[in-house]
Amino acid sequence: MRIRDFLKDKIIFLSFQLFLIVYIVVLLEVFKIDRRAAVFIGFTMILIDVVALVPEYYRKNKYYSSVYRKLNSMDKKQYIYSVLDEPFFKEEEILDDIVKQTTKAMNDEISFYKLKNEEYQEYVEMWIHEVKIPIACIDLICENNNSDVTKSIEEEIKKIDNYVEQALFFARSTNIENDYKIKNIVVSKLVKKVIKKYSKPLIAKKCKINIKDLDINVYTDDKWLEFIISQIISNSLKYSDKGFSLSFSGQANNNNFILKIKDDGIGIPKEDICRVFSKGFTGLNGRKFAKSTGMGLYLCKKLCDKLYLNIEIDSQINEYTEVAIIFPKDKSVVFDD
Amino acid sequence: MNIFIVEDDEKLRDELTDFLEAYGYDCQSSNEFENITKVILDTCPDLVLLDVNLPYDSGYDICKQIRKESNVPIIIVTSRNTDLDELKSMNIGADDFVTKPYNTQILLARIKARIKTNSDSEIVEYKGLKFYPERSQIIYNNIIDELTKNEMRILSTLISSRGKIVSRDDLMDALWQTDEFVDDNTLTVNVNRLRKKLESLGMIDFIITKRGQGYLV
Repeated sequence: MRIRDFLKDKIIFLSFQLFLIVYIVVLLEVFKIDRRAAVFIGFTMILIDVVALVPEYYRKNKYYSSVYRKLNSMDKKQYIYSVLDEPFFKEEEILDDIVKQTTKAMNDEISFYKLKNEEYQEYVEMWIHEVKIPIACIDLICENNNSDVTKSIEEEIKKIDNYVEQALFFARSTNIENDYKIKNIVVSKLVKKVIKKYSKPLIAKKCKINIKDLDINVYTDDKWLEFIISQIISNSLKYSDKGFSLSFSGQANNNNFILKIKDDGIGIPKEDICRVFSKGFTGLNGRKFAKSTGMGLYLCKKLCDKLYLNIEIDSQINEYTEVAIIFPKDKSVVFDD
Repeated sequence: MNIFIVEDDEKLRDELTDFLEAYGYDCQSSNEFENITKVILDTCPDLVLLDVNLPYDSGYDICKQIRKESNVPIIIVTSRNTDLDELKSMNIGADDFVTKPYNTQILLARIKARIKTNSDSEIVEYKGLKFYPERSQIIYNNIIDELTKNEMRILSTLISSRGKIVSRDDLMDALWQTDEFVDDNTLTVNVNRLRKKLESLGMIDFIITKRGQGYLV
Protein backbone atom coordinates (compact mmCIF):
# COMPACT_ATOMS: atom_id res chain seq x y z
CA MET A 1 0.00 0.00 0.00
CA ARG A 2 1.52 3.24 -1.10
CA ILE A 3 1.21 6.39 1.05
CA ARG A 4 -0.54 8.17 -1.79
CA ASP A 5 -3.21 5.47 -1.97
CA PHE A 6 -3.64 5.56 1.77
CA LEU A 7 -4.08 9.34 1.77
CA LYS A 8 -6.44 9.14 -1.20
CA ASP A 9 -8.59 6.81 0.89
CA LYS A 10 -8.62 9.40 3.67
CA ILE A 11 -9.41 12.31 1.32
CA ILE A 12 -12.79 13.17 2.88
CA PHE A 13 -11.45 13.04 6.40
CA LEU A 14 -8.43 15.14 5.44
CA SER A 15 -10.55 17.70 3.57
CA PHE A 16 -12.82 18.15 6.55
CA GLN A 17 -9.80 18.42 8.77
CA LEU A 18 -8.35 21.12 6.52
CA PHE A 19 -11.67 22.89 6.38
CA LEU A 20 -11.83 22.74 10.18
CA ILE A 21 -8.37 24.27 10.55
CA VAL A 22 -9.17 27.05 8.10
CA TYR A 23 -12.52 27.60 9.82
CA ILE A 24 -10.92 27.85 13.29
CA VAL A 25 -8.15 30.13 12.03
CA VAL A 26 -10.71 32.39 10.37
CA LEU A 27 -12.90 32.33 13.48
CA LEU A 28 -9.98 33.31 15.74
CA GLU A 29 -9.11 36.08 13.30
CA VAL A 30 -12.70 37.35 13.44
CA PHE A 31 -12.67 37.36 17.24
CA LYS A 32 -9.36 39.23 17.10
CA ILE A 33 -7.53 36.67 19.18
CA ASP A 34 -3.75 36.65 19.05
CA ARG A 35 -2.50 35.16 15.76
CA ARG A 36 -0.05 32.91 17.59
CA ALA A 37 -2.97 31.06 19.12
CA ALA A 38 -4.33 30.36 15.65
CA VAL A 39 -0.95 29.08 14.51
CA PHE A 40 -0.62 26.98 17.64
CA ILE A 41 -4.06 25.42 17.35
CA GLY A 42 -3.55 24.78 13.64
CA PHE A 43 -0.24 23.01 14.17
CA THR A 44 -1.59 21.02 17.09
CA MET A 45 -4.42 19.73 14.95
CA ILE A 46 -2.07 18.76 12.14
CA LEU A 47 0.22 17.05 14.62
CA ILE A 48 -2.69 15.08 16.09
CA ASP A 49 -3.73 13.97 12.60
CA VAL A 50 -0.23 12.87 11.75
CA VAL A 51 0.21 11.02 15.03
CA ALA A 52 -3.10 9.23 14.44
CA LEU A 53 -2.54 8.39 10.78
CA VAL A 54 1.07 7.22 10.79
CA PRO A 55 0.54 4.12 12.97
CA GLU A 56 -2.63 3.30 11.06
CA TYR A 57 -0.75 3.48 7.78
CA TYR A 58 2.10 1.48 9.21
CA ARG A 59 -0.18 -1.33 10.41
CA LYS A 60 -2.27 -1.51 7.27
CA ASN A 61 0.79 -1.41 5.06
CA LYS A 62 2.40 -4.17 7.07
CA TYR A 63 -0.72 -6.34 6.94
CA TYR A 64 -1.49 -5.96 3.25
CA SER A 65 2.10 -6.26 2.08
CA SER A 66 2.44 -9.43 4.08
CA VAL A 67 -0.74 -10.76 2.45
CA TYR A 68 0.62 -9.91 -0.99
CA ARG A 69 4.03 -11.33 -0.25
CA LYS A 70 2.50 -14.60 0.84
CA LEU A 71 0.13 -14.66 -2.10
CA ASN A 72 2.98 -14.12 -4.56
CA SER A 73 5.12 -16.81 -3.05
CA MET A 74 2.29 -19.34 -3.13
CA ASP A 75 1.91 -22.01 -5.78
CA LYS A 76 -1.73 -22.63 -5.03
CA LYS A 77 -3.10 -19.19 -4.29
CA GLN A 78 -6.49 -20.55 -3.34
CA TYR A 79 -5.10 -21.65 0.00
CA ILE A 80 -4.25 -18.07 1.08
CA TYR A 81 -6.65 -18.22 4.02
CA SER A 82 -4.58 -20.80 5.84
CA VAL A 83 -1.58 -18.43 5.98
CA LEU A 84 -3.31 -15.13 6.70
CA ASP A 85 -2.16 -13.21 9.80
CA GLU A 86 -4.49 -12.60 12.70
CA PRO A 87 -6.58 -9.52 11.75
CA PHE A 88 -6.15 -6.36 13.86
CA PHE A 89 -8.35 -3.70 12.35
CA LYS A 90 -12.00 -4.17 11.60
CA GLU A 91 -11.16 -3.73 7.92
CA GLU A 92 -8.72 -6.63 8.05
CA GLU A 93 -11.27 -8.68 9.88
CA ILE A 94 -13.71 -8.12 7.04
CA LEU A 95 -11.14 -9.18 4.46
CA ASP A 96 -10.29 -12.17 6.59
CA ASP A 97 -13.93 -13.15 6.78
CA ILE A 98 -14.49 -12.75 3.04
CA VAL A 99 -11.48 -14.88 2.22
CA LYS A 100 -12.58 -17.45 4.74
CA GLN A 101 -16.06 -17.69 3.29
CA THR A 102 -14.94 -17.81 -0.33
CA THR A 103 -12.31 -20.42 0.52
CA LYS A 104 -14.93 -22.57 2.14
CA ALA A 105 -17.27 -22.12 -0.80
CA MET A 106 -14.47 -23.05 -3.17
CA ASN A 107 -13.55 -26.11 -1.13
CA ASP A 108 -17.15 -27.25 -1.16
CA GLU A 109 -17.29 -26.76 -4.90
CA ILE A 110 -14.04 -28.65 -5.41
CA SER A 111 -15.08 -31.57 -3.27
CA PHE A 112 -18.39 -31.67 -5.12
CA TYR A 113 -16.58 -31.97 -8.44
CA LYS A 114 -14.03 -34.35 -6.99
CA LEU A 115 -16.80 -36.63 -5.88
CA LYS A 116 -18.53 -36.34 -9.24
CA ASN A 117 -15.27 -37.02 -11.00
CA GLU A 118 -14.57 -40.00 -8.80
CA GLU A 119 -18.04 -41.34 -9.40
CA TYR A 120 -17.63 -40.91 -13.11
CA GLN A 121 -14.24 -42.53 -13.08
CA GLU A 122 -15.55 -45.44 -11.08
CA TYR A 123 -18.35 -45.81 -13.55
CA VAL A 124 -15.98 -45.69 -16.53
CA GLU A 125 -13.72 -48.32 -14.96
CA MET A 126 -16.66 -50.53 -14.15
CA TRP A 127 -18.13 -50.08 -17.61
CA ILE A 128 -14.81 -50.97 -19.19
CA HIS A 129 -14.57 -54.16 -17.18
CA GLU A 130 -18.12 -55.06 -18.10
CA VAL A 131 -17.68 -54.38 -21.79
CA LYS A 132 -14.60 -56.58 -21.85
CA ILE A 133 -16.77 -59.62 -21.19
CA PRO A 134 -18.77 -59.39 -24.43
CA ILE A 135 -15.54 -58.50 -26.23
CA ALA A 136 -13.95 -61.66 -24.88
CA CYS A 137 -17.06 -63.56 -25.86
CA ILE A 138 -17.09 -62.29 -29.46
CA ASP A 139 -13.40 -63.04 -29.66
CA LEU A 140 -14.00 -66.65 -28.63
CA ILE A 141 -16.99 -67.08 -30.94
CA CYS A 142 -14.75 -65.96 -33.80
CA GLU A 143 -12.02 -68.31 -32.67
CA ASN A 144 -14.47 -71.22 -32.49
CA ASN A 145 -15.94 -70.50 -35.92
CA ASN A 146 -12.77 -69.84 -37.79
CA SER A 147 -13.38 -68.37 -41.23
CA ASP A 148 -12.39 -65.32 -43.23
CA VAL A 149 -15.46 -63.51 -41.94
CA THR A 150 -14.70 -64.16 -38.27
CA LYS A 151 -11.03 -63.29 -38.86
CA SER A 152 -12.17 -59.94 -40.11
CA ILE A 153 -14.53 -59.50 -37.16
CA GLU A 154 -11.70 -60.43 -34.84
CA GLU A 155 -9.55 -57.65 -36.29
CA GLU A 156 -12.33 -55.14 -35.70
CA ILE A 157 -12.87 -56.41 -32.17
CA LYS A 158 -9.19 -55.89 -31.51
CA LYS A 159 -9.67 -52.27 -32.52
CA ILE A 160 -12.61 -51.90 -30.16
CA ASP A 161 -10.53 -53.40 -27.40
CA ASN A 162 -7.81 -50.90 -28.11
CA TYR A 163 -10.24 -47.97 -27.88
CA VAL A 164 -11.67 -49.37 -24.67
CA GLU A 165 -8.18 -49.62 -23.26
CA GLN A 166 -7.57 -45.99 -24.26
CA ALA A 167 -10.66 -44.93 -22.34
CA LEU A 168 -9.49 -46.84 -19.29
CA PHE A 169 -6.10 -45.20 -19.30
CA PHE A 170 -7.59 -41.80 -20.02
CA ALA A 171 -9.77 -42.21 -16.94
CA ARG A 172 -6.74 -43.28 -14.96
CA SER A 173 -4.51 -40.51 -16.25
CA THR A 174 -6.96 -37.82 -15.13
CA ASN A 175 -7.00 -39.26 -11.66
CA ILE A 176 -5.61 -36.84 -9.13
CA GLU A 177 -3.83 -39.60 -7.28
CA ASN A 178 -1.34 -41.48 -9.35
CA ASP A 179 -2.27 -45.12 -9.10
CA TYR A 180 0.88 -46.43 -10.65
CA LYS A 181 3.58 -48.56 -9.11
CA ILE A 182 7.20 -48.27 -10.05
CA LYS A 183 8.81 -51.64 -10.53
CA ASN A 184 11.94 -53.09 -12.00
CA ILE A 185 11.04 -54.17 -15.51
CA VAL A 186 12.94 -56.06 -18.19
CA VAL A 187 12.19 -54.14 -21.37
CA SER A 188 12.44 -57.11 -23.73
CA LYS A 189 9.92 -59.08 -21.70
CA LEU A 190 7.38 -56.30 -21.78
CA VAL A 191 7.89 -55.57 -25.48
CA LYS A 192 7.41 -59.25 -26.31
CA LYS A 193 4.27 -59.33 -24.20
CA VAL A 194 2.76 -56.45 -26.17
CA ILE A 195 3.77 -57.96 -29.51
CA LYS A 196 2.06 -61.19 -28.49
CA LYS A 197 -1.03 -59.22 -27.55
CA TYR A 198 -1.09 -57.77 -31.03
CA SER A 199 0.03 -60.98 -32.73
CA LYS A 200 -3.14 -61.48 -34.76
CA PRO A 201 -3.39 -58.06 -36.46
CA LEU A 202 0.39 -57.97 -36.89
CA ILE A 203 0.45 -61.38 -38.55
CA ALA A 204 -2.55 -60.48 -40.68
CA LYS A 205 -0.56 -57.49 -41.97
CA LYS A 206 2.48 -59.72 -42.60
CA CYS A 207 4.56 -57.66 -40.23
CA LYS A 208 8.28 -58.42 -39.81
CA ILE A 209 9.44 -58.01 -36.23
CA ASN A 210 12.99 -57.12 -35.25
CA ILE A 211 14.14 -57.00 -31.65
CA LYS A 212 17.59 -55.77 -30.73
CA ASP A 213 19.43 -54.95 -27.49
CA LEU A 214 16.44 -54.86 -25.19
CA ASP A 215 17.78 -56.94 -22.32
CA ILE A 216 17.88 -54.10 -19.90
CA ASN A 217 16.08 -53.22 -16.70
CA VAL A 218 14.21 -49.98 -16.21
CA TYR A 219 12.17 -48.61 -13.34
CA THR A 220 8.62 -47.76 -14.29
CA ASP A 221 5.03 -48.95 -14.12
CA ASP A 222 4.59 -52.02 -16.30
CA LYS A 223 0.87 -51.60 -17.05
CA TRP A 224 1.28 -48.00 -18.13
CA LEU A 225 4.33 -48.73 -20.23
CA GLU A 226 2.51 -51.67 -21.75
CA PHE A 227 -0.30 -49.33 -22.73
CA ILE A 228 2.12 -46.79 -24.21
CA ILE A 229 3.85 -49.43 -26.33
CA SER A 230 0.43 -50.83 -27.34
CA GLN A 231 -0.63 -47.42 -28.63
CA ILE A 232 2.56 -47.06 -30.65
CA ILE A 233 2.15 -50.52 -32.19
CA SER A 234 -1.49 -49.81 -32.88
CA ASN A 235 -0.48 -46.61 -34.70
CA SER A 236 2.09 -48.48 -36.77
CA LEU A 237 -0.59 -50.99 -37.69
CA LYS A 238 -2.93 -48.22 -38.76
CA TYR A 239 -0.45 -46.29 -40.86
CA SER A 240 1.53 -49.03 -42.57
CA ASP A 241 0.98 -51.17 -45.61
CA LYS A 242 1.01 -54.94 -45.73
CA GLY A 243 4.44 -56.46 -45.21
CA PHE A 244 5.77 -53.57 -43.15
CA SER A 245 8.51 -54.08 -40.63
CA LEU A 246 8.50 -53.06 -37.01
CA SER A 247 11.73 -52.89 -35.07
CA PHE A 248 12.32 -52.49 -31.37
CA SER A 249 15.81 -51.52 -30.36
CA GLY A 250 17.48 -50.35 -27.21
CA GLN A 251 20.24 -47.86 -26.70
CA ALA A 252 21.93 -47.60 -23.34
CA ASN A 253 23.61 -44.27 -22.67
CA ASN A 254 25.44 -42.93 -19.63
CA ASN A 255 22.42 -41.40 -18.00
CA ASN A 256 19.48 -42.92 -19.80
CA PHE A 257 18.12 -45.83 -21.74
CA ILE A 258 16.24 -45.28 -25.00
CA LEU A 259 13.65 -47.68 -26.36
CA LYS A 260 13.14 -47.03 -30.05
CA ILE A 261 10.13 -48.34 -31.92
CA LYS A 262 10.43 -47.83 -35.64
CA ASP A 263 8.18 -48.78 -38.53
CA ASP A 264 8.60 -48.27 -42.26
CA GLY A 265 5.08 -46.99 -42.74
CA ILE A 266 3.77 -43.85 -44.36
CA GLY A 267 5.53 -41.47 -41.97
CA ILE A 268 4.34 -38.14 -40.62
CA PRO A 269 4.62 -34.83 -42.54
CA LYS A 270 7.15 -32.36 -41.13
CA GLU A 271 4.52 -29.75 -40.32
CA ASP A 272 2.52 -32.23 -38.23
CA ILE A 273 5.29 -33.83 -36.25
CA CYS A 274 5.55 -31.23 -33.48
CA ARG A 275 1.85 -31.48 -32.77
CA VAL A 276 1.29 -35.24 -32.70
CA PHE A 277 1.24 -35.30 -28.90
CA SER A 278 -1.50 -32.65 -28.69
CA LYS A 279 -4.95 -33.71 -27.65
CA GLY A 280 -7.27 -34.34 -30.56
CA PHE A 281 -4.61 -33.63 -33.17
CA THR A 282 -5.10 -35.89 -36.18
CA GLY A 283 -2.95 -34.27 -38.84
CA LEU A 284 -2.80 -35.10 -42.51
CA ASN A 285 -2.61 -38.87 -41.95
CA GLY A 286 -5.52 -38.82 -39.57
CA ARG A 287 -7.66 -36.97 -42.08
CA LYS A 288 -6.54 -39.15 -44.97
CA PHE A 289 -7.24 -42.38 -43.14
CA ALA A 290 -10.19 -41.05 -41.18
CA LYS A 291 -9.64 -43.37 -38.27
CA SER A 292 -7.60 -41.21 -36.02
CA THR A 293 -8.98 -39.85 -32.77
CA GLY A 294 -5.88 -37.92 -31.84
CA MET A 295 -6.01 -39.51 -28.41
CA GLY A 296 -3.41 -42.29 -28.58
CA LEU A 297 -0.21 -40.31 -28.61
CA TYR A 298 -1.70 -37.59 -26.44
CA LEU A 299 -2.33 -40.20 -23.76
CA CYS A 300 1.14 -41.68 -24.26
CA LYS A 301 2.67 -38.27 -23.64
CA LYS A 302 0.50 -37.67 -20.61
CA LEU A 303 1.36 -41.02 -19.04
CA CYS A 304 5.05 -40.57 -19.87
CA ASP A 305 5.01 -37.20 -18.12
CA LYS A 306 3.53 -38.78 -15.02
CA LEU A 307 6.11 -41.56 -15.11
CA TYR A 308 8.99 -39.07 -15.67
CA LEU A 309 9.77 -40.60 -19.05
CA ASN A 310 10.50 -38.67 -22.18
CA ILE A 311 8.82 -39.51 -25.43
CA GLU A 312 10.00 -38.23 -28.78
CA ILE A 313 8.96 -38.86 -32.32
CA ASP A 314 10.92 -38.64 -35.53
CA SER A 315 9.71 -39.37 -39.02
CA GLN A 316 10.44 -39.09 -42.69
CA ILE A 317 7.44 -39.12 -44.94
CA ASN A 318 7.03 -42.39 -46.86
CA GLU A 319 10.13 -43.72 -45.11
CA TYR A 320 9.73 -44.35 -41.42
CA THR A 321 8.31 -43.27 -38.08
CA GLU A 322 10.38 -43.74 -34.98
CA VAL A 323 9.10 -43.25 -31.46
CA ALA A 324 11.71 -43.06 -28.72
CA ILE A 325 10.87 -43.60 -25.07
CA ILE A 326 13.63 -42.33 -22.85
CA PHE A 327 14.07 -43.81 -19.38
CA PRO A 328 16.28 -41.89 -16.95
CA LYS A 329 18.95 -44.05 -15.35
CA ASP A 330 18.83 -42.13 -12.14
CA LYS A 331 16.21 -43.93 -10.09
CA SER A 332 15.69 -40.97 -7.76
CA VAL A 333 14.00 -39.08 -10.60
CA VAL A 334 11.30 -41.71 -10.72
CA PHE A 335 10.92 -42.27 -7.03
CA ASP A 336 10.70 -38.57 -6.17
CA ASP A 337 7.39 -37.12 -4.97
CA MET B 1 -7.10 -83.25 -19.08
CA ASN B 2 -10.04 -81.91 -17.18
CA ILE B 3 -10.62 -78.18 -16.82
CA PHE B 4 -13.31 -76.65 -14.62
CA ILE B 5 -14.56 -73.29 -15.87
CA VAL B 6 -16.06 -70.97 -13.28
CA GLU B 7 -17.69 -68.17 -15.26
CA ASP B 8 -21.14 -66.66 -14.75
CA ASP B 9 -21.57 -65.32 -18.27
CA GLU B 10 -23.25 -68.29 -19.88
CA LYS B 11 -22.32 -67.54 -23.45
CA LEU B 12 -18.71 -66.89 -22.64
CA ARG B 13 -18.63 -70.13 -20.66
CA ASP B 14 -20.03 -72.12 -23.59
CA GLU B 15 -17.64 -70.57 -26.06
CA LEU B 16 -14.72 -71.16 -23.77
CA THR B 17 -15.78 -74.79 -23.39
CA ASP B 18 -16.02 -75.21 -27.17
CA PHE B 19 -12.67 -73.58 -27.64
CA LEU B 20 -10.83 -75.67 -25.05
CA GLU B 21 -12.51 -78.88 -26.16
CA ALA B 22 -11.28 -78.20 -29.67
CA TYR B 23 -7.79 -78.33 -28.21
CA GLY B 24 -8.43 -81.65 -26.53
CA TYR B 25 -9.34 -80.58 -23.02
CA ASP B 26 -12.42 -81.85 -21.25
CA CYS B 27 -14.35 -79.00 -19.72
CA GLN B 28 -16.83 -78.88 -16.93
CA SER B 29 -18.74 -75.99 -15.49
CA SER B 30 -21.76 -75.19 -13.40
CA ASN B 31 -24.55 -72.70 -13.56
CA GLU B 32 -25.07 -72.90 -9.84
CA PHE B 33 -22.72 -70.74 -7.83
CA GLU B 34 -23.96 -71.17 -4.30
CA ASN B 35 -21.79 -74.14 -3.40
CA ILE B 36 -19.44 -73.87 -6.32
CA THR B 37 -16.33 -74.77 -4.32
CA LYS B 38 -17.74 -78.16 -3.40
CA VAL B 39 -18.84 -78.79 -6.98
CA ILE B 40 -15.35 -77.94 -8.25
CA LEU B 41 -13.61 -80.18 -5.75
CA ASP B 42 -16.00 -83.05 -6.42
CA THR B 43 -15.08 -83.15 -10.10
CA CYS B 44 -11.34 -83.34 -9.31
CA PRO B 45 -10.26 -81.10 -12.20
CA ASP B 46 -6.67 -80.82 -13.45
CA LEU B 47 -7.04 -77.07 -13.65
CA VAL B 48 -9.56 -74.39 -12.66
CA LEU B 49 -10.28 -71.28 -14.72
CA LEU B 50 -11.76 -68.86 -12.25
CA ASP B 51 -13.62 -65.62 -12.91
CA VAL B 52 -13.60 -62.98 -10.17
CA ASN B 53 -16.99 -61.26 -10.37
CA LEU B 54 -19.42 -64.00 -9.52
CA PRO B 55 -22.77 -64.28 -7.78
CA TYR B 56 -22.48 -65.34 -4.11
CA ASP B 57 -18.76 -65.66 -3.37
CA SER B 58 -16.15 -63.77 -5.35
CA GLY B 59 -13.50 -65.64 -7.28
CA TYR B 60 -10.97 -64.71 -4.63
CA ASP B 61 -13.02 -66.36 -1.89
CA ILE B 62 -13.51 -69.46 -3.99
CA CYS B 63 -9.79 -69.58 -4.68
CA LYS B 64 -9.05 -69.43 -0.96
CA GLN B 65 -11.56 -72.17 -0.21
CA ILE B 66 -10.13 -74.44 -2.90
CA ARG B 67 -6.61 -73.87 -1.61
CA LYS B 68 -7.63 -75.18 1.80
CA GLU B 69 -8.42 -78.56 0.27
CA SER B 70 -6.48 -78.92 -2.95
CA ASN B 71 -3.38 -77.95 -4.85
CA VAL B 72 -5.09 -77.93 -8.24
CA PRO B 73 -3.67 -75.21 -10.52
CA ILE B 74 -5.92 -72.15 -10.56
CA ILE B 75 -5.82 -69.50 -13.27
CA ILE B 76 -7.73 -66.35 -12.39
CA VAL B 77 -9.43 -64.87 -15.43
CA THR B 78 -10.72 -61.36 -14.98
CA SER B 79 -11.43 -58.16 -16.80
CA ARG B 80 -9.95 -56.13 -13.95
CA ASN B 81 -6.31 -55.61 -14.69
CA THR B 82 -4.92 -53.45 -11.90
CA ASP B 83 -1.80 -54.42 -10.03
CA LEU B 84 -3.87 -54.83 -6.94
CA ASP B 85 -5.99 -57.52 -8.58
CA GLU B 86 -2.93 -59.36 -9.78
CA LEU B 87 -1.21 -59.14 -6.44
CA LYS B 88 -4.33 -60.30 -4.64
CA SER B 89 -4.67 -63.29 -6.95
CA MET B 90 -1.11 -64.37 -6.30
CA ASN B 91 -1.42 -63.84 -2.57
CA ILE B 92 -4.39 -66.12 -2.19
CA GLY B 93 -2.65 -68.95 -3.97
CA ALA B 94 -3.71 -68.60 -7.59
CA ASP B 95 -1.10 -69.88 -10.02
CA ASP B 96 -1.66 -67.44 -12.83
CA PHE B 97 -3.60 -64.36 -13.82
CA VAL B 98 -5.04 -63.71 -17.29
CA THR B 99 -7.04 -60.65 -18.26
CA LYS B 100 -10.10 -60.54 -20.48
CA PRO B 101 -10.36 -60.37 -23.41
CA TYR B 102 -7.73 -63.05 -23.61
CA ASN B 103 -5.59 -63.74 -26.57
CA THR B 104 -6.62 -67.38 -26.95
CA GLN B 105 -3.09 -68.50 -27.77
CA ILE B 106 -1.85 -66.88 -24.58
CA LEU B 107 -4.59 -68.55 -22.58
CA LEU B 108 -3.73 -71.92 -24.11
CA ALA B 109 -0.05 -71.42 -23.39
CA ARG B 110 -0.77 -70.57 -19.76
CA ILE B 111 -3.06 -73.56 -19.34
CA LYS B 112 -0.47 -75.81 -20.91
CA ALA B 113 2.28 -74.44 -18.68
CA ARG B 114 0.22 -74.97 -15.53
CA ILE B 115 -0.95 -78.46 -16.36
CA LYS B 116 2.54 -79.47 -17.38
CA THR B 117 4.13 -78.36 -14.15
CA ASN B 118 1.60 -80.38 -12.21
CA SER B 119 1.78 -83.64 -14.11
CA ASP B 120 4.25 -85.69 -16.10
CA SER B 121 5.01 -84.81 -19.65
CA GLU B 122 2.49 -85.93 -22.18
CA ILE B 123 3.28 -88.26 -25.04
CA VAL B 124 1.17 -87.73 -28.09
CA GLU B 125 0.69 -90.51 -30.59
CA TYR B 126 -0.88 -89.85 -33.97
CA LYS B 127 -0.86 -92.06 -37.04
CA GLY B 128 1.96 -94.08 -35.57
CA LEU B 129 4.07 -91.04 -34.83
CA LYS B 130 5.10 -90.71 -31.20
CA PHE B 131 5.73 -87.16 -30.17
CA TYR B 132 7.57 -86.18 -26.97
CA PRO B 133 7.15 -82.43 -26.55
CA GLU B 134 9.27 -82.41 -23.37
CA ARG B 135 12.31 -83.91 -25.06
CA SER B 136 11.46 -82.40 -28.48
CA GLN B 137 11.78 -85.84 -30.06
CA ILE B 138 9.66 -87.74 -32.52
CA ILE B 139 9.70 -91.51 -32.95
CA TYR B 140 8.35 -93.37 -35.95
CA ASN B 141 9.06 -97.06 -36.61
CA ASN B 142 11.50 -96.93 -33.69
CA ILE B 143 13.62 -94.28 -35.36
CA ILE B 144 14.23 -91.22 -33.24
CA ASP B 145 14.70 -87.73 -34.60
CA GLU B 146 15.23 -84.43 -32.82
CA LEU B 147 13.16 -81.37 -33.61
CA THR B 148 14.08 -77.72 -33.22
CA LYS B 149 11.95 -75.54 -30.98
CA ASN B 150 10.04 -74.07 -33.91
CA GLU B 151 9.46 -77.40 -35.63
CA MET B 152 8.21 -78.86 -32.38
CA ARG B 153 5.83 -76.00 -31.87
CA ILE B 154 4.49 -76.31 -35.42
CA LEU B 155 4.00 -80.05 -35.06
CA SER B 156 2.29 -79.78 -31.69
CA THR B 157 -0.04 -77.08 -32.98
CA LEU B 158 -0.96 -79.17 -36.01
CA ILE B 159 -1.47 -82.31 -33.95
CA SER B 160 -3.53 -80.60 -31.27
CA SER B 161 -6.05 -79.58 -33.92
CA ARG B 162 -5.70 -82.81 -35.91
CA GLY B 163 -8.19 -83.34 -38.69
CA LYS B 164 -8.69 -79.61 -39.05
CA ILE B 165 -6.96 -77.11 -41.28
CA VAL B 166 -4.63 -74.80 -39.42
CA SER B 167 -4.04 -71.53 -41.25
CA ARG B 168 -0.54 -70.17 -41.71
CA ASP B 169 -1.50 -67.16 -39.61
CA ASP B 170 -2.57 -69.38 -36.73
CA LEU B 171 0.66 -71.36 -36.96
CA MET B 172 2.61 -68.13 -36.90
CA ASP B 173 0.60 -66.94 -33.91
CA ALA B 174 1.46 -70.17 -32.10
CA LEU B 175 5.14 -69.55 -32.80
CA TRP B 176 4.89 -65.91 -31.78
CA GLN B 177 3.51 -66.98 -28.42
CA THR B 178 6.84 -68.70 -27.74
CA ASP B 179 8.67 -65.42 -28.46
CA GLU B 180 9.66 -66.57 -31.94
CA PHE B 181 8.44 -63.68 -34.07
CA VAL B 182 8.94 -65.43 -37.37
CA ASP B 183 7.80 -64.00 -40.69
CA ASP B 184 6.15 -65.69 -43.63
CA ASN B 185 9.35 -66.97 -45.22
CA THR B 186 10.74 -68.41 -42.00
CA LEU B 187 7.50 -70.27 -41.43
CA THR B 188 7.71 -71.81 -44.90
CA VAL B 189 11.32 -72.84 -44.26
CA ASN B 190 10.40 -74.34 -40.89
CA VAL B 191 7.46 -76.28 -42.26
CA ASN B 192 9.55 -77.60 -45.14
CA ARG B 193 12.32 -78.69 -42.79
CA LEU B 194 9.81 -80.43 -40.55
CA ARG B 195 8.38 -82.16 -43.62
CA LYS B 196 11.81 -83.37 -44.68
CA LYS B 197 12.47 -84.76 -41.21
CA LEU B 198 9.16 -86.59 -41.24
CA GLU B 199 9.84 -87.89 -44.73
CA SER B 200 13.27 -89.17 -43.73
CA LEU B 201 11.48 -91.17 -41.01
CA GLY B 202 9.21 -92.58 -43.66
CA MET B 203 6.17 -90.40 -43.10
CA ILE B 204 5.35 -89.06 -46.50
CA ASP B 205 2.56 -86.50 -46.79
CA PHE B 206 2.05 -86.34 -43.05
CA ILE B 207 1.48 -82.59 -43.36
CA ILE B 208 -0.92 -81.79 -46.18
CA THR B 209 -0.89 -78.33 -47.71
CA LYS B 210 -4.30 -76.85 -48.41
CA ARG B 211 -3.73 -74.11 -50.91
CA GLY B 212 -4.73 -70.70 -49.64
CA GLN B 213 -6.01 -72.18 -46.40
CA GLY B 214 -3.18 -73.72 -44.47
CA TYR B 215 -1.94 -77.08 -43.31
CA LEU B 216 -3.61 -80.26 -42.15
CA VAL B 217 -2.46 -83.40 -40.41
